[in-house]
Amino acid sequence: MKQFLQFLLKALALLLFVMVLLDVLYTAVYLQSHSRTKIDYLYNSKDKNYDVVFLGSSRVNNHLVPKIFNNNGYKTFNFGMTRSRLEESALMLQLMVERNYKIKNLILQVDLNINTNDHSEAIRSLFMPYLHQSETIRNYYKNIPGYNELRYIPFYRYMHYDTKIGFREMYFSLVHKRTNNLENDGFHPLTKDERPMVAADLSKYYPKKNIGYEQIKTICKKNNINLIAITTPMCMSTINREYFNHIRSIYPEIHNFENAVTDDNYFATCGHMNEKGAIAFTRVIFNAFFKPKSNP
Amino acid sequence: MFFNSFHFAIFLPIVFLLYWFIANKSKNYQNYILILASYYFYSCWDWRFLFLLVFSTLLDYFSAIQIEKSTNPLSRKFWLWLCVSINIGFLGVFKYYNFFATSFSELLQSVGFNSSPLLLKVILPVGISFYTFHGLSYIIDIYFKRIKSEKNFVDYSLFVSYFPLLVAGPIERATHLLPQLKVNREFNFEKAKEGIYQIIWGLVKKVVIADTCANYANAIFDNYNSMNSLSLILGAIYFAFQIYGDFSGYSDIALGTSKLFGIDLLKNFNYPYFSRDIGEFWRKWHISLTTWFRDYLYIPLGGSKGSKWMKVRNTFIIFLVSGFWHGASWTFIAWGFINALYFIPLLLLNRNRKNIDDFSLGFNLESIRTLFNILITFSITCFAWIFFRARSISDAFQYIKRLFENRIFTEQYFSIERYNYEILGLIIIFVLVEWNNRAKIEPISGKYSWLKLGLCLAAILTLGVFSDYKEFIYFQF
Repeated sequence: MKQFLQFLLKALALLLFVMVLLDVLYTAVYLQSHSRTKIDYLYNSKDKNYDVVFLGSSRVNNHLVPKIFNNNGYKTFNFGMTRSRLEESALMLQLMVERNYKIKNLILQVDLNINTNDHSEAIRSLFMPYLHQSETIRNYYKNIPGYNELRYIPFYRYMHYDTKIGFREMYFSLVHKRTNNLENDGFHPLTKDERPMVAADLSKYYPKKNIGYEQIKTICKKNNINLIAITTPMCMSTINREYFNHIRSIYPEIHNFENAVTDDNYFATCGHMNEKGAIAFTRVIFNAFFKPKSNP
Repeated sequence: MFFNSFHFAIFLPIVFLLYWFIANKSKNYQNYILILASYYFYSCWDWRFLFLLVFSTLLDYFSAIQIEKSTNPLSRKFWLWLCVSINIGFLGVFKYYNFFATSFSELLQSVGFNSSPLLLKVILPVGISFYTFHGLSYIIDIYFKRIKSEKNFVDYSLFVSYFPLLVAGPIERATHLLPQLKVNREFNFEKAKEGIYQIIWGLVKKVVIADTCANYANAIFDNYNSMNSLSLILGAIYFAFQIYGDFSGYSDIALGTSKLFGIDLLKNFNYPYFSRDIGEFWRKWHISLTTWFRDYLYIPLGGSKGSKWMKVRNTFIIFLVSGFWHGASWTFIAWGFINALYFIPLLLLNRNRKNIDDFSLGFNLESIRTLFNILITFSITCFAWIFFRARSISDAFQYIKRLFENRIFTEQYFSIERYNYEILGLIIIFVLVEWNNRAKIEPISGKYSWLKLGLCLAAILTLGVFSDYKEFIYFQF
């Protein structure tokens, strides 16, 4: 039995060694990756200057075209991420500040995402490789369930979020396999139109005070960033469009742009515009808040 | 409590410590610990089903004693059939009632009658097919005087409910397991070490191979209408490895766990995908069930003796029952039927026991032929798995129809954000590891065992599927 217990101890030591080794290897790979997602691009960049930054979910990622701003003399990047909630947008903004970004204007999508204070596991997972390196990320997540396991058990975070930061993603990061996430200055156009279009149903949606949004407001105020909070278009057949009116009753400063584009031809799905719609919508936003610089 | 859960990782060391440090003085204490652990293990699914397990145990225990005591053949037969009927009755009610009620109703509707079946809203008690078969084999062996009845109730209860085999086998025999429970187990370092290796290898099969393949197989089978021929072929292959990794992985963990307590369980898999014909496949796949059906159904029916017609009849019966044992669905019956069709020609040509020897491959014609036979056997097995995996018979036929009609063999990107071919490399590595170690129970022991153990642990950690937890497939049976 003594021999077996010694064997077990050695096996456990081996397990611990493998976990530490893998943790170090994976983290090293992610620390040198800057072309797979907007988060690794953000984390592994520094001292960027932007006139305008877009933040939000797919309704930013697919809807706002930085090129229109860039062509008019405003250095712009779209940091919107599909599935992102305001909790993740707030952390991205904090990281931008930590990475010494200089941002003049932030255009933030606040519409369907203030229906909940929940987070996105898919996007949260993308911050996890930097948990040991970034104090900002540590502080941000210190109260989430399972934080101690994620932080202190070597490699646990890569197992827990295996579909997003597991072996496959680590391998692609290692070989610098590019994605289209960073093309078009972060704008990802939708090219396939769903027909017939299925109406979106917002009858169970109701806007609530949002912690992430409050954090973003505070960060912007502290760092002299002009915050422009907007709603973005949905097709006219959406059920319970009154939802957008309720948003203003909670946050009067939010600009309503849900009717900026109405023709179904501009929509890929009821909740997402196609490329034509995105261009039209971005022009509306640009004209509402900016003027072309004389020497772009 | 699943074998690949954190709960089990806590449970197992506690039982191990109690077993070897507190209860090691006598076999009675050891059995008490194991039976308490087993009942706790079973109650973690649903404590109410403990009553069913205890009732089934009591029924078999007392019936066996009555059969042995009776000198009157009629009385012996009465106790046998009483016990068999109640056991099968439970299985029928919990597992098959809704199937029969629905099928009967559909039959009535098809001839114009209005019928709505009265269905039971009960969940299937986990492991019921397995412990029912334990009990049945015991009672039948007693009836035919192959063994003596067990008088010690604790020992018998442990035989039925021993936690490593309780929920998904292997289906044990009283002649094999009971004698081991009748003696005090001495700790054996080599056996325990082998158990640990087998558990680790079982986990590799489950979380690395089965669960990874499951993601792809599900993506393909659930959306077969939009898949091309290559994806549909790969879907069948992925499912073949999913079910093999899942069930043989489970069996490895069960056998390994049992070795930690000094108890050997029946081997359930013997590298079935390296079989040269379907007869060999069935001697290597789910061995404990196959041999159970052989001994308690096929041979009593006459086996391969008698006329050709009898042989064919018996073969169809055993394969159809075997399919039906897996679940109350026509898909499982079809799967059994197809395997019977594969087997019949071998039986009629008297070639079903042709490939029983060990073999190796070299650079010669005979090896090419062997390899070809292995590939053919694997291919037809994959074809049959389509029926096993499909949601319905019509889905299975549609899947096969599209497989042959689509004829597009290009890469395809799935909704799970993966390409159809992505895990082929992993499967090839797995096959090579199994091939090179097919003479052993697991590949870790032997030379460089620490290195191999480290690689297995690294494989589990890096390639395992943890975020999308998948139950063992055979728990539903």
